[in-house]
Amino acid sequence: MDSVLRAAAIYGALLVLFKIAGRRSLAEITTFDFVLLMIIGEATQQALLGDDFSLTNSLMVIVTLIAIDVGLSLLKQRSQWVSQLIDGGPTIIVEDGRILKARMRHARLIEEDIMEAARSSQGIETLEQIKFAIIERNGKISVIAKES
Amino acid sequence: MTHPTESEELRSRQFPVREDMAYQLKVWRFERVGWYVLVLLVILTLLGLFSRGPLSTRDVHSGDGRLGVEYEMFHRNGSTNPMVIHLKGQPNAVLEVELVGQWLEGFEVQTLQPQPVRSASAQRGLKLWVQADANGEASLYLSLLGDGLGLYHSRIATPGGATVSFDQFIFP
Repeated sequence: MDSVLRAAAIYGALLVLFKIAGRRSLAEITTFDFVLLMIIGEATQQALLGDDFSLTNSLMVIVTLIAIDVGLSLLKQRSQWVSQLIDGGPTIIVEDGRILKARMRHARLIEEDIMEAARSSQGIETLEQIKFAIIERNGKISVIAKES
Repeated sequence: MTHPTESEELRSRQFPVREDMAYQLKVWRFERVGWYVLVLLVILTLLGLFSRGPLSTRDVHSGDGRLGVEYEMFHRNGSTNPMVIHLKGQPNAVLEVELVGQWLEGFEVQTLQPQPVRSASAQRGLKLWVQADANGEASLYLSLLGDGLGLYHSRIATPGGATVSFDQFIFP
């Protein structure tokens, strides 16, 4: 019984924690983010398994996690509200070469983040060349160039 | 170029993606409030809300000072914490102490030092006899493994009438 409860508790807690961290937090993986992710994994492992290292326990934990995950995706498919709650929506941060400053501040982004995404995805050099920059639901910044 | 006002910026756009800025503002507020909560949790943990810290470490004495207990108010399931019982009596005497309450259901005694001269079960707990030194003082060092969940009430008493009562909470 407790393997199911443990897995459900950890799933819920991580869901809330990563919502607090915001969608950008682990979207662009730097070396440090990668190490951070591994440490979070290590810290979670003990709480997930407890002191029971049996095959049954670890399988039940995995089964529970996947069951919740699939269940949530089914819910998201059926309900627009759940989908928005869990995945959020896209947000425009650059409109016709003009930065929307209030939005950037709330999203904890700076101009450099946008230009980095613009350079790597579109080969764009200046802000004026950007028609739209959008923070997607997964936290990545997608850039649409102006037609010249 | 005129600077757009904040309210104009926060208006929902329909192109190229359909936005719901009212909801997005709520998300951002949740992130901000959540961050405060995380910082608060870190501070509380440093203070010992989840054992080992000023909020958790307690030192209680009976009215006559013949019995003292140092313990952790907060435990975590699966972690070990120390508990020290100080006794005061006649020089070189064998002192009796009784540990009663629910705590034996919630804790597993991993070590008990020094070995008591004698031990026996009591109505709801156990009795220990320990050898006092030339000053009439004796100490018992226990390490307790939190096994249960929730609140446990304990009482430690000597036949002389010295009693201390305390509560311990075990986090999951």
